Formats: sequence, C-alpha cells, structure tokens
Amino acid sequence: MSDKKKIEIRDLTKIYGDGVEVRALDGVDLDIEKGEFLAIIGPSGSGKSTLLNMIGILDTPTSGTILLDGIDITTASQRQRSKIRNQKLGFIFQYHHLLPDFNAIENVMMPLLINGIKKSKAKKIACEMLEEVGLYDRANHRPNQLSGGQNQRVAIARALANNPDIVIGDEPTGNLDSKSSDIIYDLLRKLNKEHDQTFILVTHDERMAEKTDRIIRLVDGKIVENSKVE
Amino acid sequence: MIPVYELFIAIRHLTSRRRQTILSILGIGLAVMILMISQASMVGFSQEMYKKTVDKMPHITIEPKPDDDHIYLYRSLAEDIRSIDEVIGVSCFLLGQATFEYEDTSKNIIMQGILIEDHDSVLHINDDITKGNLRDLEAIRNSVIIGDSLAEKLDVKVNDMIDASFPEANPTALKVVGIVDTGTPLDETLAYTSLSTAQDFFDESNVVNSIIVRVEDPDTAQPISDKIDTFGYPSSSWMETNPEILQTLMIEGMSNIIVLGMIIVIASFSMVSTMIMVVMEKTREIGMLMAMGVTRKSILAIFLLESGIMGLIGPIIGVSVGILVCLYFGSITFDMGEEAYGGVSTFPFIVRIQDAASIVFFTFLLNLVAGIYPARRASTFDPVEAISNE
Repeated sequence: MSDKKKIEIRDLTKIYGDGVEVRALDGVDLDIEKGEFLAIIGPSGSGKSTLLNMIGILDTPTSGTILLDGIDITTASQRQRSKIRNQKLGFIFQYHHLLPDFNAIENVMMPLLINGIKKSKAKKIACEMLEEVGLYDRANHRPNQLSGGQNQRVAIARALANNPDIVIGDEPTGNLDSKSSDIIYDLLRKLNKEHDQTFILVTHDERMAEKTDRIIRLVDGKIVENSKVE
Repeated sequence: MIPVYELFIAIRHLTSRRRQTILSILGIGLAVMILMISQASMVGFSQEMYKKTVDKMPHITIEPKPDDDHIYLYRSLAEDIRSIDEVIGVSCFLLGQATFEYEDTSKNIIMQGILIEDHDSVLHINDDITKGNLRDLEAIRNSVIIGDSLAEKLDVKVNDMIDASFPEANPTALKVVGIVDTGTPLDETLAYTSLSTAQDFFDESNVVNSIIVRVEDPDTAQPISDKIDTFGYPSSSWMETNPEILQTLMIEGMSNIIVLGMIIVIASFSMVSTMIMVVMEKTREIGMLMAMGVTRKSILAIFLLESGIMGLIGPIIGVSVGILVCLYFGSITFDMGEEAYGGVSTFPFIVRIQDAASIVFFTFLLNLVAGIYPARRASTFDPVEAISNE
C-alpha cells in the first residue's frame, strides 16, 4: 500500500529549549499522497514551519519517523540528506532567497549543477523552467533588477529545476501583494497538475488555503483539522 | 577533482565584491612584494659579502704537522691536492718575519715567499697590485712587493731600495717592484717576495710552512678540506678559520625572514577577517545552498577556494612586481663615492627562481590554512537558522 503514498509521518515530536521545554510538534501523524496539493495552516508558533523543515530534512525530530518512499529520512547521513534535498525536494521560501550574485538563469541552473548535470544541459533545462514561469525574457537579470513577484517566480523555477517529487513552500506568497499572490498560486497549481508533483504549502492566507486539495490545521504542535477541500 | 559549481560560486563571489577582493589581494601582494625585494637584496648583499671576504681569503689552509715547523715534500702534496676535481688553485708559500728599514723608519713585517702564478690562482693578488708589476718578483732578484699602508709608513715608492734584516741571514737590500692593496689590515705588515728568495733568507731550502687552496664553489670547501686531511697534514676550511662569516649571514637571513614573515601573516589575517565578514553576510545564502543539496564539504570547498584563489593571485602579483622592481633598481648605477659602501655602485639584487617559487608557495599555503577557520564556520551552519537569519 505504501507504493502510492509518498510521505508517511508517524508520531513526530520536536522539543526545543534548554530549561524551558517547548513542544513545537507533539506526536504528529500524517500521510501525504503523491501529487497532492495541500496547505498547512495555523497560528504563529503552532509548529507549521517546524513540520515543513522536518519534511524538508533541514531539521531533525526529537522522536518519530518520516518515511519518504518507504525510507526513514530522519536517520539518514548528512550526505544522503544533501542528496535527497537536491534530487527529491524543491524549496520555496517567503523571501525568494535567490543567490544575489547570480542572474535568474544561473540561479535556476544551480540545483542542476549541484546534481552534477553539465552546464550546457543545465542551461537548457533552466531556460525551459524560466519559460514555464513566464520569465524567459528576464533570464539575464539579477535578483536586484527584478520585482518581488518576479523573484518568487524565479525561485519557483529553481525549486522545480531538478524535477523533484515534493515541492515545499514556506509562505511562498507571504511577502507579496494579493495580485502577485494570485499569479504565484495559479502558477503553483498549474505546475502541480502538469508535473504530478506533491506540493506542501505553509500559509497564513486562509483564502489561498481554501483553493488547495486538503487543509491541515496545526495548533500547539498537534493536528486539529485534516480535511479535504470540497 | 573540484566539481564545477563550487569553483563557479567561489569565483562569482570574488568578482561580485570586487573592491574587497582587490584590496585583499593587494594587501597580500604588497607584503609578498616587500619580501621578494628584501630577499633578493639579502641574497645580493650576501653574495657581495662573499665576494669581499670569502673570495679574498684562502678557501682551505694546510699547516705543518703538529710537531713540525714546515711542510716537507710540498710539491708532491700540492700535486695530490691539485688532482682533486673542484680545486682550481694551490699555492705553497713560506712565511717569515723580517725588519724593513728605509731612511730613518723601520718596521717589523711578515714576508711571504710565493710562486707568483700559484699564489695568484688562489688569491688573485694581481688584481690588487696598484703600482709596479707582479712578474718582476721573479724577474728581478731580491725584489719585494709591499702593502700600500706599509709603503706609506716607510715612505717608499716603486724602485726604491729598502734594507731588510732577517733572523737567520745577513741584511740585504731589497728592491720594491710593486705596491699591493688587499683592502685588509694585512697591508700594514705584508711583503711578497719570490719563494726562492724567501727560502734563501730564512735558510729553509725546499720547505714551505703553509699551503693554501682555492676551490670552485666556496660552499664545498669543508668536504674538500676533510679529504685533504687524509693526506696527513692538518687542513682547515674557511668555515673553520672564520666561522663568524657564516654566522653573520645566517643571523641576517633569519631575522629578515622572521620580520617579513610577520608582514605576510598580518596580510593573511586581514584576508581572513574579510572572509569572516563575507561568511556572515552570506549566512542566508549558505543556508539556501544547503537546502538545495550542497554538502557541508562543498560549502567548505567554496570558501577555501575563495581564500586559496586570493592567496595565489596575491603572491603571484607581488612576486612579479617585486622582480620587476629588483630588475629596475638593480640596473641603475649610482655614485656614492668610492669609499662610502666599499665601492658598491649598484644595488646587488639577485632574484633566485627558487626564492620566488617558495614565497608564492608558502604564502598560498598560509592563506589556505588561514582560510580554514571562516570556511569551517560556514560549513557548520544549521540550515534552518541560516535561512531565517535576518
């Protein structure tokens, strides 16, 4: 049964703090199917970003397991984690976090180069990705020459460059006006449909969450709502 | 092999903050340039000192056996010494005391009976003859060549006759056929005569009391001297007779390297502090690179490459400019007056390729080692904290 299921989270707990104990995640169980487009919502400090960082293997849990394609990523070595992050995961953050010294196309090429793909091939793929997010004509612009929305679209192209199984977005529209937010949302949705990739988005924006397939609501590190959007 | 993207990122970082990079490179380059010039002048002055001292002294001196006053059968001993490959001159001579008298002045002197060609092959005395002719020593019977200070004190000139008295022979009149200026205190007491004349006056036929040797490369004098020892006569190299020369050169060289090494360490430190700043500025970028799957090892490589590239370009520029400065100033002749610096009229720069290479290599290595700290710091960032760093 686990061949269709991409992510299985079991009893995931994360405790921070020396002295004063903070339970950021408290026994979270969650299954995410391949190709799902889901939103994690909840108030500040509810553990949304912590959960996302765990799935993105940027952070390690205090206890519990996360199975990705049946493999427990919480016990992977540093090297394996880097490899999984590069090949299976794509990240989009609230701030685009593009490399400021590189232009748009070089930023999109970066995950491909890290993956050991030749420069000429990486450039070709990066061109296609920029085309897909509608910024091909801005390929040679550096982040400081692009608007916030444009930078975020470059960041999306970068997150998808290696054709990852899972795309993780931590408030991807949190820093944008509502018009730009809609463009980004529509783009993510379109890519999700075209590429059959799993999209997990953390958001404050209830309006955006309503447009996803499923909403996970976290409060105090616990899942309090797990409902399909009609 | 270094994967492409680490180098790609490192080079882009360096070219993006061009001003900082150029300043760091210039800092190292300047220090290296000073070291290169100083090293070249150090080597040059050492050579000059060699020329002025070691070149003018016998490289090896052979004395009579401990209980003897003389070296017997010196001709065959000299032949044996000549047969050693590196030996380029051997001179056997007889030293003795005498008193010279001219008009009312008399002086005790040391008379040296020499074979002129042999002696010239060891000490190049012909170059020091300021008046008269060395050949006349053997052409004219009972002739002498005396030191210039001695000539001044006795107030004699070439072709004057001076009265000489010896412990073992009757006083004789000697003709001055030349004046010699060795530039040493010996000029006050020295008098050359032919070996046969000396042997007559000192009543020591067919013996000498000293043999001196010149070798091709003064640095090899010690092993050759050790070899001559095995012929049965005590032999000592210039290193044994004048150990202070080597000590002086070594102390000068060491203090030079210590002081200038410090300058390079300081330049490297300024590079490190730049790198620490860069790593701090790029914290979020480093976090994002980690999220994209860059390993800690590769993060380390990126920042080490940055230090390494600066640490290589800096010294190459520094050494190149240093060599140009040496070549330029080395070609200028300046007039400081004959006596001021012992007749030195150019900066005696000597650029050795091995000095240039080792300066570049060690500066590069130092910068690489210094770059480890900021690079390691970058590689140990926690990706979550780094990305959310404000």
